[in-house]
Amino acid sequence: MAGERRRPSAGGSTPLAAGVALAVTGSGLLGIVWAGARDARDGAVLSGRVTLAAGGRVTFPGTPPAGEPIDMSADPYCRERHDEPVIDRPVRVDGDGGLADVLVHVRSAPSGAEAPDAQALLDQVGCMYTPAAVAVRVDETLVIRNSDETLHNVRVTPSANRGFNLGQPIEGMESRRSFGRPEIGIPVRCDIHGWMHSTIHVLDHGFFAITGTDGSFSLPELPAGEYEVEAWHRSLGTTSRTVTVTAGEPIEIAFELGG
Amino acid sequence: MPRHGGSGARGRAACAAACAALAWAAPPATAQDGAALYEAGCASCHGADGTGASPDRIAFDDPLPDFRECSFASREPDADWIAVAHAGGPVRGFSETMPAFGEAFDGAQLQAIMDHIRTFCDDPAWPAGELNLPRPLVTEKAYPEDEAVWTTTVRTESPAAVVHETVYEKRFGPRSQIEVKLPFGFAEAPTGELGPGGEPQTDWGAGLGDVTVGIKHAVAHDDRSIFSLGTEVVLPTGDADRGLGADAVRVEPFAAFGHVLPADAFLHLQGGVELSTDTGAAEHEAFWRGVIGKTFTSGEFGRAWSPMVEILGSMELEGDADPSWDLVPQMQVTLNTRQHVMLNFGVRVPVTNTDARATELMIYLLWDWFDGGLFDGW
Repeated sequence: MAGERRRPSAGGSTPLAAGVALAVTGSGLLGIVWAGARDARDGAVLSGRVTLAAGGRVTFPGTPPAGEPIDMSADPYCRERHDEPVIDRPVRVDGDGGLADVLVHVRSAPSGAEAPDAQALLDQVGCMYTPAAVAVRVDETLVIRNSDETLHNVRVTPSANRGFNLGQPIEGMESRRSFGRPEIGIPVRCDIHGWMHSTIHVLDHGFFAITGTDGSFSLPELPAGEYEVEAWHRSLGTTSRTVTVTAGEPIEIAFELGG
Repeated sequence: MPRHGGSGARGRAACAAACAALAWAAPPATAQDGAALYEAGCASCHGADGTGASPDRIAFDDPLPDFRECSFASREPDADWIAVAHAGGPVRGFSETMPAFGEAFDGAQLQAIMDHIRTFCDDPAWPAGELNLPRPLVTEKAYPEDEAVWTTTVRTESPAAVVHETVYEKRFGPRSQIEVKLPFGFAEAPTGELGPGGEPQTDWGAGLGDVTVGIKHAVAHDDRSIFSLGTEVVLPTGDADRGLGADAVRVEPFAAFGHVLPADAFLHLQGGVELSTDTGAAEHEAFWRGVIGKTFTSGEFGRAWSPMVEILGSMELEGDADPSWDLVPQMQVTLNTRQHVMLNFGVRVPVTNTDARATELMIYLLWDWFDGGLFDGW
């Protein structure tokens, strides 16, 4: 989910809005956030438009691919970081069909506020990328960290942005990069450890989220209107829904990908 | 490889100390640090022994160089290697698989790694790449090369000429080189007739010049200097009537010296004699040449500009002819990212005997073919 990112998924929420969003995320439902609602703590009336915090879930119908055990014997350091064999799962599905690592974003979204002064994180832990997919806004800082005591290279190969290939031989070192153009599905890989793959998404607005291990997601507040919401997965492709956001009405978006 | 066995663990432990102390710290890196840093940053792909990791240890197919192979590992200067290590392969037109380590290691650490890489070639007979100085328009370098050079000389004053010379140089062994020069061109020559006003008439014609074969051997070198001896044999294949050759075989033994000066400056010296088999067609001659220049780099790792000035002197060994002196200001510039294709342009200006000799425009295109195809690395 967006919680895997460093920055808040719904920047600018009022305290009340943040509390509601947290509650509905946990329940798998969604809630309405009135920017004009009474603040729960001090009773002040906040001004603004009626907005909606949209949320939902992405599922994978049927039986997901089993995945293959990763052979880490080429680098004993990597192998020794795991007590059990690591399974390479391009499609991560929980027991309830929830599909992880899916980018859910609003196409033609309102530009919204400027990019938050926060950072997203792409880490390398136990010779695996964490998270498997990360999303940032245009010009937002992406921190790329090596938490391993072994050499990783981080090869990022966009098509609309400038690519790079970083050598990170030192445990704990961090590199910072940003992307100037929106681009979905930028591949990230390590040429030394061929099983390491991740994906970076760059969007020119803030209305997006990455599904968590249970397939759920929570989008920031949207102004009323009609929107096309798309779900994107590296292996399973895309699907989309057109939703109408009406003042005061809850909305839940359900996607199915693959199967 | 050791990295994947016991010594790899030792190397990692050594790096844990060296890297932690040096990663973003000030102390200058030492040779010992260089070995540990190489183990941490390079050995995974290039192998602890510099021969390159086996394909089952890495996840890419690009062929890896063998750092023990002196013919490959010795001929480029440290600066080019460090540029690639700092900014990644594309900075010199090489594979994108080579990552950039500029955020992991500072300049001193990269130099320490470079010093360690230099230990893989353990044959001191190979002159260092630092001695491969920018090539002047006329003076012969002391460093043996694998190059092809196309030089065009344009003389605009009568008798005018446009002469092209193709030079192919092939290095063999650590210190030796053979070369072939093939000149051809267009030249103006008198017809023997007079015009309406009584002025001599000329016409233009094309022809082959005198083909030259040569050999050169670097007899001594150290970190900053290289000294070579060589001989060229000039064959009378050219059109002498058109000024594209001389009707005599000439032999040109010479000595050449190159020296690295501080602040990226450099010096070339060459001296020799041209001994003719027919002094009626070509006189015996002595020649001496000197070049001083300096290389400037655009940005941190960009295009290299090398302004130079050549001083050329020659004198016939028989008779009482005065020596001839020429000045050749010139500018060499690298054209492509890999920097193995270069252009040099200049003007050869006679300083003495100016009535008999004309100013010439000179330009060459140089392709260091050992470093890749002509169209690679742009």
